Amino acid sequence: MPRLYGDTDKFGEQNNTPVVEAFHGAIRAMVRQKLAASGQTWQDFVFDKAVTGITADDFRAIDQRLLDYGHRYVWSALVSQQERPEAYTAAQGVGEDLSTFSFEHPEAPTAAVDAEGRELRGCGDNVVRYNEDLIGTARYVRSSATVLNYLQNGVPPGTIAVIDDSGGTLTAPILEQFTGVICAGGTVRSHLGILTREYGIPCFMNSKISGIREGDTVRLECTATAKTADAYQKGIEMTGRIWRVAQ
Amino acid sequence: MKLSYAQLLETNNLIQQNTDETYWLCLTRTVQESKLFPVSPYMILSYFMCFYRYPALLRKIEQHMSAEDIGDRARNMGIKIQNPSMGWCLPSFYLLGREYLITMGLIRPQDALEDVVYVMDFWKRYELAWHRNDGHLTNRDFGHRAQVLPERRLQIFHADMYDCVEGDALHTAAQAFMAATSQYGFLVSCESRIALHNQGPYKLDDEREMIVRDFMDLAEGDYPWLDGVAAEMPYNNLTVPMAVKGVHFNIIDDWGSFESQPEFKAEHIVGVGLYTSDTLSEGYLPVGMGSREELTRTFEALAEKAKDATNKLWKRIAGWSRDQMIDAGAITYFSIVKDLAHVAGCYEMEDWMLIDERAERFRPLLNDEYSNMSLWEILGPLSNPCQRTNEYQLCQHANIPARMYSLIPYSVLKDGDYTATVGDLQPGVSYLPPKEDRYRTTQGVLSLAEYNRQAREFTPTVCDDDHRWLCESWLKYHHDTPAAEALYRAEQQHSRLLKDKGAGLRRADIERLRGD
Repeated sequence: MPRLYGDTDKFGEQNNTPVVEAFHGAIRAMVRQKLAASGQTWQDFVFDKAVTGITADDFRAIDQRLLDYGHRYVWSALVSQQERPEAYTAAQGVGEDLSTFSFEHPEAPTAAVDAEGRELRGCGDNVVRYNEDLIGTARYVRSSATVLNYLQNGVPPGTIAVIDDSGGTLTAPILEQFTGVICAGGTVRSHLGILTREYGIPCFMNSKISGIREGDTVRLECTATAKTADAYQKGIEMTGRIWRVAQ
Repeated sequence: MKLSYAQLLETNNLIQQNTDETYWLCLTRTVQESKLFPVSPYMILSYFMCFYRYPALLRKIEQHMSAEDIGDRARNMGIKIQNPSMGWCLPSFYLLGREYLITMGLIRPQDALEDVVYVMDFWKRYELAWHRNDGHLTNRDFGHRAQVLPERRLQIFHADMYDCVEGDALHTAAQAFMAATSQYGFLVSCESRIALHNQGPYKLDDEREMIVRDFMDLAEGDYPWLDGVAAEMPYNNLTVPMAVKGVHFNIIDDWGSFESQPEFKAEHIVGVGLYTSDTLSEGYLPVGMGSREELTRTFEALAEKAKDATNKLWKRIAGWSRDQMIDAGAITYFSIVKDLAHVAGCYEMEDWMLIDERAERFRPLLNDEYSNMSLWEILGPLSNPCQRTNEYQLCQHANIPARMYSLIPYSVLKDGDYTATVGDLQPGVSYLPPKEDRYRTTQGVLSLAEYNRQAREFTPTVCDDDHRWLCESWLKYHHDTPAAEALYRAEQQHSRLLKDKGAGLRRADIERLRGD
């Protein structure tokens, strides 16, 4: 079997993540086979048979092999899971019943109820510092169906949207109606951070929360210092707190 | 094509500059993720498209107009070939496609060598022309600034903008417009920020700065998914010069994003204007700038149109299949430099709005998990085998022995062991409905053939042979000449306060005129 250029890499090691290593290893093995079968030199092969002779079916077979081993992919866009449920892990917390669902971040800071009735349930990176903290009702927004419902019926007043999507498109038609946002991903420079800043909506990005359920009253420490690019670059923690408040 | 040592040295330097900046840009953001769009899958697909198609498309464009000539044109209007498109996306999308193929064993660092050298050289020439007035290659090169505009244009933005304060009608309308249009831009661009651009900052006085904000590709134009839903959007590109007080914009990066000290809030806005432009316009044309009240009404009306188009487009996208979402996202990313072809008058839908079949074959690999993780590895820990360097190395910003984009080995100059190019354009495919032949421009709604014809025949006055070399360095010593007067008057023809004022004014004069 011919060797590929990268087979003599002095410094390269395998990829960090199993799926990437599995895919890249399988692709390189396939390329070796195709090169041997072609009878071509590398120079002739690279933009000839390596293009016409390596097809979508070859890549489909690599994908199927991993599934046959029992692997199920972690989804990020709901449409991926919905169109191909047999290939992805199950979707939770995106259906009609959210009564028992909550984001559970292992590093979420928590504490018992304090004298002011505040129960610490997490923290997040504050996008913009405001003069007052924000109190509102937590409502999970994780699917197009939820957005469509709010688009047709309106977002309830005082809603602090709890989102795990740092983008700005899922909630595009209703974002303006949110009172606040708790986002479980991204940074203050992610799209959702940019948009909430433009709309003047208090927002925490990269939030680590635990135990906040649909309908809980929550308080965001929007008076906390906004996190800077410099803080991200230097790995400096700069967060605002998120409390559940007794109703 | 015989490659020289100097060419390879320069090409590797340009590659390395992109390595360093890409890491910094990505460090302050996590990998883009969306519950609506399969973002990582479409990003990776677009990188393959860029690798296979950019060399042929850029060569095709340069048969009509050089990279540096297009850079001169783009400097005088608010269309998409600014940032992030040209400052970062053109080289980095191409290099990311190359790096993916290297790590998969499908190419070597010295394959498609003439393509790599050409693409990086095109990028350099364009960037130097676009940044001509500040003398840099990139915003990074300038400490994250972009002072692209000449004095004559800055004076008009400064003079004609209307003052506002938080709570007044204009401030409220302008802020609502920028929020709604930003939102719409993210949706049009399938969850990417590439419809938005900021340049500057420019100093208005000791307390005030101005940035120039562009909102691009808003109307029925190149994207098939805007046919119908954007029919009521009357302008394809809108530019808002925005003055702020009490804030310093300390970062304007090559993604066109800004950061400020203290953090920017709406309350800091103290002045706004509104313009449109495209490749067929004489620079920036004022929109609703006749009076303060007219501008307020215009912002309000455009915000409503943006919201309406957002709702219609969101419903359309929510009904798309995964393949359609991936197509739209990949096309959006890949075609981010398409306006190069519009300026050159050689835009073809088949070149820019289809998935190249050489890239299309990778689609079965692009599940969410592989896409997210492989993108993270190539941009974050730089953990692909081809990205690792010897253990003594400390890469910029990360202090790890790694390099994002592989350099070209100089051994090719001795042994000639390389391949030249990926070859000519190949056919493309798409799951999306075909594009309708309808393009909103400053000259009305045109067919593509008419759009190209007008683009080939049109040269803005400030870019014609009489004016294009009258740069800021020349102006400094020739402001009292008839040529300078003519240049400034050409720019000032649509200005409310500066029409026919000529070349002699200084910044303080502009401020006095505003107060009269």
